[in-house]
Order: sequence, then structure tokens, then C-alpha cells
Amino acid sequence: MARRISRWGRRLALGITALLAAALVTPVQAGSRLLGTGGVTQIEGAAGGGLSPWGVLAGTASDTEVAVTVAASEAWLDDYGLRVRGVGVNWHDRVELSYARQRLALDTLGGVLAQDIYGVKLRLFGDPLYHPWGSWSLGVQHKRLDQGQALARAVGAKSTQGNDLYLAGSKLFFDAVAGRNLLANLTLRSTRANQGGLLGFGGDRDSGRSLVAEGSMGLFLTPAWVVGVEYRQKPDNLGFAQEQAWQDLFTALFLTRHLSLTGAWLDLGDIAGLENQRGGYLSLQLAL
Amino acid sequence: MYPILTRGYLAALLLAWALSGCAGAKPQPAPTLYQQLGGEQGIHAIVEDFAYRLADDPELVGFFANTNIDYFVGSLADYLCVVSDGPCVYQGAPMDKAHQHMGIHEADFNRLVDALQATLLAQPISASARNQLLKRLAAQHAAVMRYQ
Repeated sequence: MARRISRWGRRLALGITALLAAALVTPVQAGSRLLGTGGVTQIEGAAGGGLSPWGVLAGTASDTEVAVTVAASEAWLDDYGLRVRGVGVNWHDRVELSYARQRLALDTLGGVLAQDIYGVKLRLFGDPLYHPWGSWSLGVQHKRLDQGQALARAVGAKSTQGNDLYLAGSKLFFDAVAGRNLLANLTLRSTRANQGGLLGFGGDRDSGRSLVAEGSMGLFLTPAWVVGVEYRQKPDNLGFAQEQAWQDLFTALFLTRHLSLTGAWLDLGDIAGLENQRGGYLSLQLAL
Repeated sequence: MYPILTRGYLAALLLAWALSGCAGAKPQPAPTLYQQLGGEQGIHAIVEDFAYRLADDPELVGFFANTNIDYFVGSLADYLCVVSDGPCVYQGAPMDKAHQHMGIHEADFNRLVDALQATLLAQPISASARNQLLKRLAAQHAAVMRYQ
């Protein structure tokens, strides 16, 4: 297993280096949507904030363009460390395909959990700037717990893979607060995932699907700098430990059309019986 | 009790005087967006900067190949003036007719909005005025894209 992880890590590092080199060396054609309207890469690989997928698609590609995003994210919590590597492709601002690998280091309990997340997001209609209702998308995330299956089963999970379905909407309100533009996002998700899937799917307390709500608001202090809050409700399927909503305060800087940096302060509640998991989050996204 | 009452009475008098003073002042009407953009001069500067950005954009300049630039610049200035509640008359075609069959894609529209935002950022106007103008123009998206 360890060999497999390092192979994945090497491959992704190589890919990121190649894309970074391409972005710096060649005058790559960027997408044409306004900076920031594709959000950043959320922890499951979709375009969004840090925790939630948004109703917009990755990068800044419009109807005649293709965008590719690559992201590396790290979260440092009290008893855990999360590492995410993600890649997304936006085809004509209509369909987004994404892949993410999450690796959760159990610093206190010992061991590592890892899962692969394959995502598809279809933009149904709208635009965050021009449509009165904003931009609305339907998404699926197929999650496969790859490392830590035995642990997930041991704590009561019914399955080690699952599919999240979600509907997400994003709308930019111009001149909303102190003359600045406010981006509001709402996501409704049907899921069986425990702690996003890292503790498996379904549980001894509740084995079925739950409908959960996620929301975020970001204020663009400048066209390239946004600050905001996120909230993500989660199911509470496992009897051995309670699961709470995730929330964060975030800021993202869109340095160029090709490079954004996101920082956040996370409050992920209790995880696997260890209480009040809080900490910092950093995410770097390259977009082509 | 007496001094306290007096003090209270004085304070009430002062308050009443202050309030009547406020009420007596002429209410300043909120400046229109046109004024916030700098009036005629401000709009002129916006249109000039914007026209240069369009000319410099290889993807957008093609849309103006058959355009009388003087007419376009004057018409755009009138349009921005009217959109921002200024004292002008826009005599050009409505947005859907003005853009019909130009083959405008979302990508072109977005590029133009990005150029306009860059123009507005380069002007000495407030974030509120900039975003209010973008808001009013963004609402024209459906009309512009109606006959593409």
C-alpha cells in the first residue's frame, strides 16, 4: 500500500510540475470568465470553496473554451492531517470532470486513511453574474475508500464506497456590502458518507441516505481577493462517535488567471471520537 | 435633585436644538451613479479607455471591423450616461437589435466584461460605482445574447 501511495504522490507531483512549467513558459490561453467565478478546488476535487462544491465549473472557461485545474491542499488539525491532490477539467463551461485523492493521517490514533473521489458536474443553466437566479449545477461524486477499509468497518460503516449526489447554485450579488460583490452558494447533497467518506458509508445508527445542506458566502474585497465563511452539514451515521457539521473562515487570492492561493481556519467538530478538530488550511490551485 | 434636573433639562434642550438643526439642514440628495462615475468627463474617460482595450484585444477587435468608431464611442457614451441615470438621450438601437447576428459567444461577452472591469479599475471611481455599473450592464446579458 505504501508503495502505491508514493507512486500516486510521485505521479501527481510530476504532473503538477509539468503543468506549472507549461503555465510559466508558454503564453497559455486563459479562460474568459471573470477572475474568481470558478471558485477554487474544494477538498473533493470539484470547483467550489474549501469544503463545498459550488454551482460554477472549474477555472474560467466559457462556452468555447476548456479549462484544466490542478490543486494541492493541506489541512493541519489537532489530531489529524489532511492532504488532497485534485485535478479538474471544465469542458465548455458545461461539464466538469474531476479526480481527487484524499489522505488523512491519524496523528494521534496512528495510521492513514485514503480515498479516491471521481466527480462529474453538469451545469444545468445560468450564470453567476448575468442570470437572475445564478448558475445551477448537478453533480455526482463517486468515492472509494482505498486505505482504512478495515477501520471503517470496525467503527460500524456499512460500505467502503458510495456516491454523493448534489445540486449546487452560485450567485454573485453586485455592490452588495460596502460597494463590494458578494458570492453566495447553496448546495443540497444526498449522501451516506461518514466524515466525507474517510470513515466509510452508512452506519450502525443510520444506514440510509441523508439530505444535507451546505452554504457559503464570499465577499470580494477586490476583484481578486475574496473572504468568506462556509458551512457543511453532515450525516451522523455511526454509533461509536458523533459527527458534527464542518465550518470554516476562508480567504482566497487570485494572483493571476493561472494561480490562486486559499487559506482557511477550519472547525471540523469531533472526528472519530477526538473532539474539536480545528486548524489551518492552505490550498494552491493552478489553472490552464 | 435640583441640579440634576437642571442638567437633564439642559441636555434635553441641547438635544432638541441639535435635532432641529439636523432637520433644518437641506437634505442632500444621494449622488446619481452618473455623478459617481464623474459625470460627462468621467464617462468620456471610461469610453476612451475601454475603446483602446477593445482595440488591443485580438479576440474582440474583429467584432468592430465594420463599425464606425466615432459613432460607436458617442453612442456608448450616451448609453452609459442613460444607464447611470445621467441627463442624456440614447438614440441607438436597443441592446438585442444592436447586437443581433454578430455571432457573439459567452466567451466574447465575458472577455468584454473583463475589459470593462479593467477599465473601471483604472478610473478614479469607487468600488461601489464600479460594481453598480457592472450590475446594471450585466442585466443586459439576456438582451445582448437574444439573437446570436
